[in-house]
Amino acid sequence: MSANAIAQREVALVDLIDRLLAGGVVIEGHITLSVADVDLIYVGLRALITSVATAEEKRMLPQIGDSLARSAP
Amino acid sequence: MIALLAITDDAAPPPPPVRAVRSGGLSALCAPAVEHEVTPDALWRHEELLEELMRERAILPVRYGTLVEDDDAAARAVAERRDEFAQGLERVRGAVELALRVEQREPEPPAADVVSGRDYLRAKAARMRTARRLHERFAALARAGEVQPGRELLRAAYLVDRDAVAGFVALVERVGREHTELALLCTGPWPPYSFAEGER
Amino acid sequence: MRDKILASPLDLDPFARDERRLGEALSRRVNADPESVERGLAQLVLTIVELLRQLMERQALRRIDGGGLSDEQVERLGTTFMELDRRMAELREQFGLTAEDLNLDLGPLGRLL
Repeated sequence: MSANAIAQREVALVDLIDRLLAGGVVIEGHITLSVADVDLIYVGLRALITSVATAEEKRMLPQIGDSLARSAP
Repeated sequence: MIALLAITDDAAPPPPPVRAVRSGGLSALCAPAVEHEVTPDALWRHEELLEELMRERAILPVRYGTLVEDDDAAARAVAERRDEFAQGLERVRGAVELALRVEQREPEPPAADVVSGRDYLRAKAARMRTARRLHERFAALARAGEVQPGRELLRAAYLVDRDAVAGFVALVERVGREHTELALLCTGPWPPYSFAEGER
Repeated sequence: MRDKILASPLDLDPFARDERRLGEALSRRVNADPESVERGLAQLVLTIVELLRQLMERQALRRIDGGGLSDEQVERLGTTFMELDRRMAELREQFGLTAEDLNLDLGPLGRLL
């Protein structure tokens, strides 16, 4: 396979992973990729941080910047 | 255990091995859960299945690897959020997701000691403004758009009407020609992963 | 080969990632040696810190845009973030991680950034 074909496959895979493993409807309270407890921890963190990022995008978290600004003299 | 693939409001029977578990006007599209290693091939096979389902119906894809105990559990999961899912299906009907990543060709110069705090932020702000302006151009051709966190200049997902995809791609190419300092990558069409959940 | 690319530059380098490492990230083999467990934890922690750093930076920029901060406050915010950025780079180096490593690999559950 040519180098460019390999690169094409890689970039498509990156976008696929972004979607499949970090998008879609999340059915809470159900086991996902059930293996060790560590996977469940990852799911929790991912859901938490996604909500933080989304809320921040929607300007729902003024306190992050505020506290930084207040701590400056 | 069964794998929950997607949610739909279409009544037509899905192609095997997918089964529809009905729940008040909606269906959970399920398949037997097969223990497997999560490899790129497994992801692509799953993706192909979702795309096949999407050809004939509006779907909300479910996070990969979601397993439920049985049909009753699948039906309950759908019933619990029925209104949200019904609205979601309306939101995505007739549209696909396109992914966009934009990078600056020249890497950012590393922060030197002489750069002032103000200059550092100024450069960052300029970067943010460029990203925001780009996003607005693309969002104008989409039903919805979402900027996603990442190290790229812009990383975003857009929900685009099926018959607007060609126009969207043409815009990506046009912006690429206008801005030779940028590299733009657009992939798709994807099922609407980034638009599957309602407003949090 | 799945053809999902609709538009791209001739040179895909800015966007490609090492497929082998992607494969490793997806693999569910449990690697139990203490060094890689520690590295895995460091990777997880640093990824979260990096995300928060990015969010705070953007938030601060919006705040500055909104007005109401003195030049001195802006300067201090800027140097703080510069310092954070530099510190993150040091920490990454300490654990043998690249910026890409923080963009990747939370096990089978995909990317964070």
